[in-house]
Amino acid sequence: MRRILALTSNTLTDLTRQRVFYFALIFALLLIASSVLMARLSFQQEFQILKDVSLGAMSIITSLLAVVATARLLPQDVEDRTVYTILSKPVPRFEYLLGKLFGILLLLAVSTLLMSALFFAVLYLREQTVLAETARQMASAPRAQIDAALETVRQSAFNIDLIPAVATIYLKAVLLAALTLFVSTFATTNLFTVVVMVFVYFIGHLQATAREYWLHDQGGGWMAQGFLAVVALLFPDLQAFNLIDDAVAGTVIPLALFGKTALLGLFYTTVYTLLGTVVFYGKEL
Amino acid sequence: MTEPAIAVRGLSKVFPVPFRRASVVAVRDLTLQVEPGEVYGLLGPNGSGKSTTLKIILGLVSPTQGRTEILGRDSRQVASRTAVGFLPENPYFYKYLTGQETLRFFGKLGGLGGRILPQRIDEMLALVRLEDARDRRLATYSKGMLQRIGLAQALIHDPRVVVLDEPTAGVDPAGSRDICDLILRLKQRGITVLLSSHLLAQAQEICDRVGILSAGLLVREGRLEELIAIENRTELVLENASETLLQEIESAAVRSNARLVERRKSTTTLERLFLEATGKKDDKPSSASSSSESHPKP
Repeated sequence: MRRILALTSNTLTDLTRQRVFYFALIFALLLIASSVLMARLSFQQEFQILKDVSLGAMSIITSLLAVVATARLLPQDVEDRTVYTILSKPVPRFEYLLGKLFGILLLLAVSTLLMSALFFAVLYLREQTVLAETARQMASAPRAQIDAALETVRQSAFNIDLIPAVATIYLKAVLLAALTLFVSTFATTNLFTVVVMVFVYFIGHLQATAREYWLHDQGGGWMAQGFLAVVALLFPDLQAFNLIDDAVAGTVIPLALFGKTALLGLFYTTVYTLLGTVVFYGKEL
Repeated sequence: MTEPAIAVRGLSKVFPVPFRRASVVAVRDLTLQVEPGEVYGLLGPNGSGKSTTLKIILGLVSPTQGRTEILGRDSRQVASRTAVGFLPENPYFYKYLTGQETLRFFGKLGGLGGRILPQRIDEMLALVRLEDARDRRLATYSKGMLQRIGLAQALIHDPRVVVLDEPTAGVDPAGSRDICDLILRLKQRGITVLLSSHLLAQAQEICDRVGILSAGLLVREGRLEELIAIENRTELVLENASETLLQEIESAAVRSNARLVERRKSTTTLERLFLEATGKKDDKPSSASSSSESHPKP
């Protein structure tokens, strides 16, 4: 455990000193820019767009971070021969991989928390501004009417379903990090890993639509079913991790759905980590 | 019978060449043993299979045939690495870490913790004379300092066997001298050292036994003095000998049918001259060398 912790903390230090947190800065700028642009909209539209843009940006940024930061971890250590020094100590190869993976997961957790904190802070501040404005504009209206208007504002701003939406964004990034680590165990360059992951990302997002089209609209013969089964096995269904639309629309996200998504994410992450370990054990360093 | 520190038995390694039917044979049927407490030098030109052999011993590369053991344990077992320290050729550590952080990181990987770890870090920094640079990031270290911190990380978990791949490659003479002295100190402490090198003069100075690899084959092996001794020749090194005495010795030699091959002034080594000229202290006792100013006699 001590060895895994040492590797985890070192990976986190490495990534932090690569200034990957600048991604969070991009997110902050995006939030400020969208707030300025939405000044003329109604508060319902404003909150909806704010949530849509923020969660969308959070999803893209964490996914990008997961792929780009993970892709360089193994090739860099092999190229610099640091991997020789580490693995010539009594460190099993799966502990080395787990240490790297946990380091990146910790980084993704910190980034997601940072962006969520920014997002909720902006949402809260805008909510308070709109509440104050509404109260001022309706100063002469009856108390019950004011309370109803204020409640509408509150309901349009923060809702509890934003939390599972953020959690699934993190889970998707975790899955992508594990898959990237697996690809990097047999890739020879960072570029190869990143290119493969770009394909995986798009196929992963499109496969649900393709499945729906082939199986429902076209009837879906055994060939189409077989092909889609293979695709589903090789590529994760990333669309299953998209609860953003529901959260933005204010739809309640059932606990069962969130639990199922979380289990799916853990399943994929475990499978990719195991596959990565198998490949890495056979790798000649 | 004492168990060998390192045993290599019938080792072969073939690397397939991707997209071709050909393959590269890096090591061919290599068998050797390194006894506890000795300094063994694996010598050979670039591409002779030295680094591959070391990597197989450390479990970083799997053998095509044969097996290797460290203190009786199969190299493929992770447990075999508890008693071994390794310094790779041209090591590159995490440059964002300081010397002290690097040793802490590798110490933890070696299973150290608690109060022992800071104590070992201090000991190692003192051993490699890097106490003053302990809080400097490795990005600011010179090549020689990197080699020394590399040696310190190899020794941090107090191994009984140390494997060094080209430990003085790319290091200036002063740094190189430091590393050689460190290896000799390890030997004094009873630590077994297996090193690869193509710098023969250094290997000659520090190794008890050597094995010479050529194209993956072990072409010579043995105790250094036995390998390099010329059976029918003897050297005498005299101090304050007068010319008359020297002539008498030469005449006596001729009378007993011996042939005087050469007579020359004893010289220092270029390394020692360099160390003196650059103000680096050399603790080693001076000895005669047969490098220059020779005057061959017919």
